Amino acid sequence: MSGNRPIKFRILELFLDGKEYWNYEIVSKIQEEYGMNSNYGRDSINFDIIELASGGMLKDVEQKVDEEGIYKKDFLLHKYVITDFGKVRGSDACLRYV
Amino acid sequence: MDLKALKKQESKRKISKGYMWALFCAVFWGIWYLPGTVVWVLNPFDEMYLSIAKVSGDGVSLVVTAVLITAFNALTVMLALILWNGVLGKYGELGRTLKEFHPCSKWFFLASIFGGPIAILGSFIAMGFIGGAFAAVAALLYPVVGSILAYYWYGEKISKRAALGIGVIIIGGITIFGGGLLTELSSGTVPWIGYLGGLMAAAGWGIEGAIAGKGLDISEPDAGLTLRFLGENIIWWIIIIPLLALFGFPMYSFALQVFEPLTMLVLIFAGITFGFCYVCWYKSFPLIGVGRGQGIGNLYGMFAIIFIFLFFGDVPQWTILVGGTLCIIGSFVMFTEEASALETLRGE
Repeated sequence: MSGNRPIKFRILELFLDGKEYWNYEIVSKIQEEYGMNSNYGRDSINFDIIELASGGMLKDVEQKVDEEGIYKKDFLLHKYVITDFGKVRGSDACLRYV
Repeated sequence: MDLKALKKQESKRKISKGYMWALFCAVFWGIWYLPGTVVWVLNPFDEMYLSIAKVSGDGVSLVVTAVLITAFNALTVMLALILWNGVLGKYGELGRTLKEFHPCSKWFFLASIFGGPIAILGSFIAMGFIGGAFAAVAALLYPVVGSILAYYWYGEKISKRAALGIGVIIIGGITIFGGGLLTELSSGTVPWIGYLGGLMAAAGWGIEGAIAGKGLDISEPDAGLTLRFLGENIIWWIIIIPLLALFGFPMYSFALQVFEPLTMLVLIFAGITFGFCYVCWYKSFPLIGVGRGQGIGNLYGMFAIIFIFLFFGDVPQWTILVGGTLCIIGSFVMFTEEASALETLRGE
């Protein structure tokens, strides 16, 4: 069933379990599901997460510096959790089909 | 570098990126007035205007011609956007977003109703019945509608500073076009339908921004925007133009005459500038919010005057220079806002 819904829907769907996830965990999962393995694909998925956070659907709860280069060396890694607003928007968009 | 500094730097980068998109939007929007003005004197649109005016009068002719020009504008914008999505490799995402009609793409189709036949046609009606200056002043007020709607409908935060910046830009815009407006108003009685057109422009674009924000929450801007123009093309080409043809206006015979090299070139130029103006506009919303995106986008008034001066040689009046300065001050009031205030755009 993967890879057939808009990427932001899928990202919200992954967060709907209410757990906290690091951005690189989500990015690599989406990359795999949608076959977006280039650096460009990675950055564009990460930007989707940033947009969801600035739209108030995800909340940035923790940051650390990427010292080992798990994602992008010396850049910030972010840990997000879904907000109540994100749950409402996410369930509108996603749960109907699950 | 420590965590806190890195955080600050990252958030700053995001905000400045948002403002950069909004500024590009204003530049493209300003350039758009060049092909938008030129196209009226090119075949087949000038002939169309004259021939319909003979039968139905100037006012009706202007609106009907405006419909055809706007429809071609929407068509070339669509072509530019399809190319843009191809370059970004987003056809897949475009299809996925389109399929989600109920939760998502319906917002873009709704936005296209307010953006196309209400805002753009309203502008043309205002230009035809009152004048270009009035149309532009009216349209400059759209961020007020947009930010108020975004605030009440989904609680988008507007800081005092952003509100102040929007206010200064609006006063600047009114000053820019104020001189011409006074001349128009004092030259005779003004029909109410012109005011209605002005209201349509301000309300239409403001509502479009707020509605689009609802769909943009959960989709990618490039895909969302293309769907918004798909909607506008459907409205013009499948609904309004066939309807006008049914009423006896020669829509198709003139539409088929656009394949002249110069006309095509100007229409494509209009499509590219308008298309990218919208790309930038939509891209700025998730980063800095609808109110600020629209406020900075409003600098188009100033850019339009600069480009019209450069290409057509129309020397600006002093009121225009004062207004342009106010617009720049207003945007700097917003630019210099402390980045931490913008970390998230909505209240908890």
